[in-house]
Amino acid sequence: MKISIRWLQRYVDLSDQRPEQIRDALTMSTAEVEAIHPFAVGLDELVVGHVLTCGRHPDADKLSLTTVDVGQGEPLQIVCGAPNVAQGQRVVVIQVGQELPDGTKIKKTKIRGAVSMGMICSERELGLSEDHDGILVLDKDYTPGITLGRVRPLADHVLEIDNKSINHRPDLWGHYGFARELAAILGRELQPLGAPVAFPNDGARLDLRIEDADACPRYLGVCLSGVKATRSPDWMRYLLHAVGQRSINLLVDLTNFVMLELGQPMHAFDRRRLAGDVVVRRARAGEGMVTLDEQKRELEPSDLLITSGGAPVALAGIMGGLGSMVEPDTNELFLESATFHAATIRRTSTRLGLRTDSSARFEKTLDPAGAELAVHRFVGLLGELCPGAAPAGPLLDPAAWRFTAPEVRLRRSRLDLKLGHVIDDTTVRGILERLEFGVRTTDEGFAVTVPSFRASKDIAIEDDLIEEVGRMFRYDNIPEAPLVGAVLPPHREPELILARDLCRMLALELHAHEVYNYSFVPDRLLEAVGVAALPHSVVANPVAPEVCRMRRHVLPSVLQALGTALRSAPAVCLFEHGKGYHPEVRDADGLPHEVREVALAAAGGPGFDYPALRSGVAGVLRRSGFAVAFDELLGRSDELPWIHPGKTVAITLGATLCGYVGELHPQVAHQLELPRGVALANLDLRQLLRAGASACRFADLPRFPAQPVDVALLVPQGTRVKQCAELLRHAGGKLVRGVELFEVYRGEGLPAGTKSLNFTVTLGADDRTLTGKDEEKFLAKVRERASEVGAELRG
Amino acid sequence: MDNRRQEWLDAIAAAGDEAELRRIDHGLLGKQGVVQELVRGVSSLPAAERPAAGKAANQLKLELQAALDARRAHLQAESLTRELAAPDFDPTEPGPALTQGTLHPITAVQNELVELFTSLGFTWQDGPEIESEHYNFEALNIPADHPARDVQDTFWLQDGTLLRTHTSPVQVRTMRRFRPPLRVIVPGRCFRQETVDASHEHTFFQMEGLVVDRAVSTANLIHTMKTCLRVILRREDLEVRLRPGFFPFVEPGFELDVRCLLCGGAGCKVCKQSGWIEILPCGMVHPNVLRAGGIDPEEYTGFAFGMGLQRVTMLRYGIPDIRYFMGGDLRFLRQFVEV
Repeated sequence: MKISIRWLQRYVDLSDQRPEQIRDALTMSTAEVEAIHPFAVGLDELVVGHVLTCGRHPDADKLSLTTVDVGQGEPLQIVCGAPNVAQGQRVVVIQVGQELPDGTKIKKTKIRGAVSMGMICSERELGLSEDHDGILVLDKDYTPGITLGRVRPLADHVLEIDNKSINHRPDLWGHYGFARELAAILGRELQPLGAPVAFPNDGARLDLRIEDADACPRYLGVCLSGVKATRSPDWMRYLLHAVGQRSINLLVDLTNFVMLELGQPMHAFDRRRLAGDVVVRRARAGEGMVTLDEQKRELEPSDLLITSGGAPVALAGIMGGLGSMVEPDTNELFLESATFHAATIRRTSTRLGLRTDSSARFEKTLDPAGAELAVHRFVGLLGELCPGAAPAGPLLDPAAWRFTAPEVRLRRSRLDLKLGHVIDDTTVRGILERLEFGVRTTDEGFAVTVPSFRASKDIAIEDDLIEEVGRMFRYDNIPEAPLVGAVLPPHREPELILARDLCRMLALELHAHEVYNYSFVPDRLLEAVGVAALPHSVVANPVAPEVCRMRRHVLPSVLQALGTALRSAPAVCLFEHGKGYHPEVRDADGLPHEVREVALAAAGGPGFDYPALRSGVAGVLRRSGFAVAFDELLGRSDELPWIHPGKTVAITLGATLCGYVGELHPQVAHQLELPRGVALANLDLRQLLRAGASACRFADLPRFPAQPVDVALLVPQGTRVKQCAELLRHAGGKLVRGVELFEVYRGEGLPAGTKSLNFTVTLGADDRTLTGKDEEKFLAKVRERASEVGAELRG
Repeated sequence: MDNRRQEWLDAIAAAGDEAELRRIDHGLLGKQGVVQELVRGVSSLPAAERPAAGKAANQLKLELQAALDARRAHLQAESLTRELAAPDFDPTEPGPALTQGTLHPITAVQNELVELFTSLGFTWQDGPEIESEHYNFEALNIPADHPARDVQDTFWLQDGTLLRTHTSPVQVRTMRRFRPPLRVIVPGRCFRQETVDASHEHTFFQMEGLVVDRAVSTANLIHTMKTCLRVILRREDLEVRLRPGFFPFVEPGFELDVRCLLCGGAGCKVCKQSGWIEILPCGMVHPNVLRAGGIDPEEYTGFAFGMGLQRVTMLRYGIPDIRYFMGGDLRFLRQFVEV
């Protein structure tokens, strides 16, 4: 919302305050000021000119040639295009070398052969309004050469208030509320608004009926006669323009002015267009109306309407109807000032996508007292600005709303405790009273009565009052104090700690890069990896219709990121820690099951392939105490269609499946435009923890040297390393200290369809040094039993 | 004998390296060496000649040994000098390229924050990313039709659940799970229906903090927040200010600003000319929220905060655009080698 400092000055003296000081005062105690916009700044330096002569430009029909006395030196010759320029006028002159508010620099020019030494300005050129029909004509008694700042100071600064910082403060949706805050902050007097208007007891009236008192706690209406939709006075037009409100005519401008002053929206109906009694009621099924913006609105029974003669004339609190608005010839008004139920207005406004200045205010839960105040203000100003205009009848207020100021207790002990700082009684009382609270001292502290403009929503409990004291005292003045309490080790969540440790180790040990991806996955990606048919949580209002599903697994996003990463590096390993969402399984609150995963994908050849990833993942898991094994992956092809069925293994810990590592399905690789041989892995952290970590165990150091024996087994392709290793273990019996595959050789020198598995078997004994005989015995046994796995001992 | 002696001494002096010297040594003083032969030959001489010849042979042997030692020392010194001279050592020649992995910068910042807060006795918690309306709104004193729901721009799921719009739902979840005193942090992924641009993301990362105990005050909040920001932004002299802010789940509510790190307060584009950067909404836990968590607000008070991790990460590393965080652009990711 925009707040004009010049406007505020009507109610509180701010003449010694720079705009930045006002910004800081409000920001630190009331609401965030996001920016300061200068308005009409620089105009105060311009001078008043007296049009001495005014004749037709010899070579242009629509231009006038004037001489203007600007107080010093010779009168200036100025070419002027305005239709209303005339001899004898006092005008605003901008001279050569000066700048317009829009930055245009004035130069000496020749227009159709005539020299022009400046410009006579219109309001639009001066940035004062949108009026460009003619030049701005000033009062005749101004001395030529006097600066505008001396006779008509216009410079202003407009504060841009962050709306969300005043959502809870209905009293701050107008200038008067901000003036009250500044008066309280600066310890100054707040000027009262004009005196109440006396309304006649009889006369013209439209009877009012409120059918739904919950939706409309208060509705005031009055008929006004003798009104004219004239042009508003300059001061009002400029203030409205400064805060971005277009001037229409006096009647419309007055409703806007009072709204921007007090925060209370009103609606002025052309009395002639209202057919009869005014009724506030809910819409009927199938009812419709055309609003001021000429849109046809389909209504629902939850919408609140103002009707007259049975027909809707306004969408309550949001927008008036097309037929009953103020016209240039309107001479009689029906003025509405009401309070509507916030949520009702909000629902209708949200449903219709129709947010107005009015609905934005009603949504905040306005003070019903403000509705009455606003009528008096409107009628008072109208009387001043439109001679002859007056109430034609009584002010009707059928709801008979009465305010009883709530009393809220403020205990000294709670105030001290919540702020962590003791503020003395005099200061507390002073702060609350300047904000117009009533304060009574009690045994425990204070009993505080809340003024109506703070009682509709904002102040209800003790803590709200603590905020009032704290913000006015300024939180910055509270000295900081460290937390105190029992020193206990914080509860540890193993899953979070494991995730953090794994990520760190993947970066350090596998040289992998961590990526973040969106939890929403594009349909295209789901189709490419083959899970589009599985159940997904679906966003009802997605960023884009084709990106509405929540990922079940993290890995497909990592594959997508891999494509991007490969543009900057020939070989890379990426990983992501995140959650997959499984809507078919629900927790006690009905929420989808979330699975914490760490997913990896690598591409680019040796070191970034399946074997590297397999060892890397196993190594990293070992560091967290998980001595995992790799087994055949069974029966996951529906859920994980992106894995290469023949080149993927399960990561297991005991009987628990904790993840998988393998290669990307070639078909999916093709779909995602990834190279062949992409390695991938996934870890399910909850499963790992369920299976359990085990700590490292010390094994006694061998007292006798171990003896490594190389064993090469020639086997048919398809033979498993595991079988051969087991064979070697058996053959060596209790002498075996370790069996390690160091090479798989395929190719030259071997019979077709075979491969050579080359192991190092480490033999040793606890009580002696082994001899050549032990080795020979072992090899003999291997040779003898090799055929059990179809193998043959080489060499 | 003298001729040969001189010959041998010359040969020793001329030896070019230690290997040659070893050969000469072997040829002279080795078991089969010429000089050893001479020494052995002494015993076959007539008895009268033996003492003189023996003495001469011994002297020769000592003299040669000394010459050999001297030459060896000389050659070793020379070779050391050569080795130290390192004629083609180039201090500007780099080592082989090192491949290093990286943590995402948000993770790095988060890890540091977690470490700081756990050292202060906070427990590190998480909660569901798909939340119920109850925990995301109602339990946090944001009833249906509350205007604050507008600000949240919620992503709704078709089944009526929603994507959490902040990490705050974990406040009440934690209160229900543990009893006070509570010190909790919840870093995590949140979602708001926003159009993505240089400073807005629909997926963002927040770190919730919650402290509930007897007599927790605004003064404690200020101290905790200042400590946290000084550590994470690595600025001992960091200037902060606390001003009113409105969030339905706190009362009073605050916004915590830091003096702009880029312009030092003079005003720039990043701080929108204000000299301050809004970094941390916080406040004293609203009594209704404590009640929703089953805690008596008369007995306990608390504070809560919600730090935008992207914002902090951007400030810390000087990242100008929030869009860099998501996706697999290595040119971005590999810049952050801190773990």
